[in-house]
Amino acid sequence: HHGLLKDFTLILDDADDYNVIIQVGENQNIKEFRAHSVILRARSLYFKSALSSNWVTKKDNMIIFSKPNLTPIIFDMVLRYIYTGELDLTEQSGENILNLLVASDELLLEELFIHVQNY
Amino acid sequence: MSSRKQPKGKIRPPKKPNSADAQFNDNWDRLAQAIREIHKKNASILSFEELYRNAYNMVLHKNGDKLYNGVREVITQHLEEVAVSQVVPAFPLSGASSSQTNPNGAGGANFLKVLKTVWEDHTTCMLMIRDILMYMDRVYAKTANVPLVYDLGLDLFRDTIVRSQNYPIQNHLLEVLLQQIKLERENEIIDRTNVKASIDMLLELTDASTKDTVYATDFENKFLETSSEYYRVEGQMLVGEYDAPEYMKKVDKRLNEEEQRVRHYLSQTTEPKIRNIVEEELISKHLKTVIEMENSGLIPMLRNEKMDDLGRMYKLFGRVVKGHDEMKSAISDYIRELGKAINETVTSNTTAEGGNAASGDKQTGATVAVRWVQEVLDLKDKFDKVQNLALSNDKAFQTSFNEAFEYFINKNSKSPEFISLFIDDNLKKGLKGKTEEEVDSVLDKTITLFRFIGEKDVFERYYKQHLAKRLLLGRSVSDDAERGMIGKLKVECGYQFTTKLEGMFNDMRISSDTMTDFKEYLDKSVLEKPKLDLSVTVLTSTFWPMNLSASPRCNLPPELTKACGTFQNFYLGRHSGRRLTWQSNMGTADIRGSFKARKHELNVSTYQMVILLMFNDKQDGESLSYEQIKGESDIPEADLKRNLQSLACAKYKILVKEPKGKEINPGDQFNFNNDFTAPLQRIKIQTVASKVESEGERKETREKVEEARKHQTEAAIVRIMKDRKTMEHNLLIAEVVKQLQSRFMPNPALIKKRIEALIEREYLERATGDRRVYNYLA
Repeated sequence: HHGLLKDFTLILDDADDYNVIIQVGENQNIKEFRAHSVILRARSLYFKSALSSNWVTKKDNMIIFSKPNLTPIIFDMVLRYIYTGELDLTEQSGENILNLLVASDELLLEELFIHVQNY
Repeated sequence: MSSRKQPKGKIRPPKKPNSADAQFNDNWDRLAQAIREIHKKNASILSFEELYRNAYNMVLHKNGDKLYNGVREVITQHLEEVAVSQVVPAFPLSGASSSQTNPNGAGGANFLKVLKTVWEDHTTCMLMIRDILMYMDRVYAKTANVPLVYDLGLDLFRDTIVRSQNYPIQNHLLEVLLQQIKLERENEIIDRTNVKASIDMLLELTDASTKDTVYATDFENKFLETSSEYYRVEGQMLVGEYDAPEYMKKVDKRLNEEEQRVRHYLSQTTEPKIRNIVEEELISKHLKTVIEMENSGLIPMLRNEKMDDLGRMYKLFGRVVKGHDEMKSAISDYIRELGKAINETVTSNTTAEGGNAASGDKQTGATVAVRWVQEVLDLKDKFDKVQNLALSNDKAFQTSFNEAFEYFINKNSKSPEFISLFIDDNLKKGLKGKTEEEVDSVLDKTITLFRFIGEKDVFERYYKQHLAKRLLLGRSVSDDAERGMIGKLKVECGYQFTTKLEGMFNDMRISSDTMTDFKEYLDKSVLEKPKLDLSVTVLTSTFWPMNLSASPRCNLPPELTKACGTFQNFYLGRHSGRRLTWQSNMGTADIRGSFKARKHELNVSTYQMVILLMFNDKQDGESLSYEQIKGESDIPEADLKRNLQSLACAKYKILVKEPKGKEINPGDQFNFNNDFTAPLQRIKIQTVASKVESEGERKETREKVEEARKHQTEAAIVRIMKDRKTMEHNLLIAEVVKQLQSRFMPNPALIKKRIEALIEREYLERATGDRRVYNYLA
């Protein structure tokens, strides 16, 4: 699956056909992530609901989603995990890991939660 | 999951500045408000992320139960409002108890429409509520062992709307549904979408105590009860108003409609139940009535060969337990009745024509037989057709029909003879202008009748007699046809019977060779040549059915006696140790008769020739009395009468009888008919052709059959005892019956007599300790 993994990372980093903009963080610590609703909804129940036609808000045909209670660092890891199913935690600080654990619980990313917990 | 809720010190949610209670109230207020907005279809102003996070925080801070109960309360409140503001105002005007005041069901349809909207709104809202409470479902509901929020919504809908304690919604709903179905049964067009929506709703709701659907607990039984009553009334009405084919069409239509109804808007689980009801009320309860309907029931359908109607009845009645049995027994009774009628026409014909037969019209007897078989075959054809076209070749019906045929065919004691005569009729040369294939197919059918005969041995005896006459009188249509028929019989009764028949063919072939040799022998020999052409057929006595022990008496004219002697010398010279007995009753002769008008060639039987030659010595007008002819010829009385009849009372009157009449009586006087005229030069005087036997002959045949049965029974007993050595009486009887029943049904008394005869002849002995056990004596 190595090729697949690389390609999905590429989709995330070089997104040119994204349709979701996710604003993450509060105050000064804000970052916009670009993503694909199809991947988010396929990989996460949270996003499946959040980005469903019942709830979605659009601006210029772009889905805008805001997640203020997470930091960009944490959300970057979440997003990476959603796209690739893998996450390297070795470089991460203890605090980040703890926050990632909390975030994965909130977003009901069970696999990630177990992955982090085991780590 | 629980590990997430009880973090062991290390993992804790970040502490918020607000106190827990204030945070809870704030979170809950926002959520409750959001749910109300959802109910108002105002969700577009809401933020999923925020609401989700609120619920998440509440669950995280151990307020899952408060959240859950709060949600329950908000939804219940909303549904109560819906009941009052939307559902109750839509109640059909007629009220819950009197649907008949609302004949077209428009009020009911509208009510269902409202309910459909209410239900759809509810499910849409619940899906959105489920979205924002996903964390509660995943984390709280599971550990607290409470239903997921969507299912909670279903239960609330069930208790607040469908089974409301405050408003008679349930009554209205059930009544309207049943009314809509009733309207549709009465050919009104209803809006199935609305009905289906309500049914689907009931199917999605679950009854808490039975865990079954609300459809099953609240609706289905009522539906089935109403349907039972509806079809009970309809059944009574239909049998009164319609004839059988129409009735069945109506029932077919009903069954079809109910099936369609289930498919379109009820649950599949209801299909067998409603089907059973229609089958019970419209088929089971009226089986006999419909079968016995005058002028249109089962028998009239058979009489008029209404294959479509019969087929419909077969399919329809096959749906219920007794249906096919009733049909089967009615049809079988009918076959028996028709068979009885056929038998009766024959008996009345034979007695009526008995006089004619005796008066020399020898075809009549055979005609009766042929007609009987033909009528039975026609009947068989008719029911084969029914079986094929209407009854899907049902084996059970076939068996029952066969039993009916067997029954009436064996009721006619002459059936073995008749069937053999029928075959004889078809195998005779130059008859009817049928093609070989046609004859073959008729014979195939005849074999099916043969199977029904109980006394196969009697048939065999007749068959042999008839075959013998065909062969000896040269009347057989062809060897191939005969052999074809024997092939068919071989399949039915095995080779023992047919080897004798084949032996008869063999004799015919060898005799033809022998005659060629005889002619050569005469040409070469110095003997005086006979003044006539003699043709002899030498028959092996065991193959042929003639009674050889008593050779028939007859004084042959001297030339013939002499010719016979020449042949006898020739034959016995070649085959020493054989004995020849002349069967003059079986022969034919070609003689020339000179009449006043012209000469005719007459083909006559040997007996007739003997009789006619007597008149050669007589003057014109000089007569011979019956007694004179009898005395001089020594022909057996029955044969003599029959042959005189052929000569004096039939189509060609070579002799004139005094007094006139069809019967031959002692004292009758016979004159040569010099004035005889006929258009043809060559005349065939009907000889002793195959025909139904007279009573005397029948008795004789019977006796021969009985005699043969004795031998067969003894042979069977010896065969069995040789194998078993020792056997108990009843077991032996049973075994003998088993071995013989394919040929005839031996009665136990006969078997017992044969056992005693065998004991006497020391083939068997009674066992010393037990008188009921026999031992075989080698």
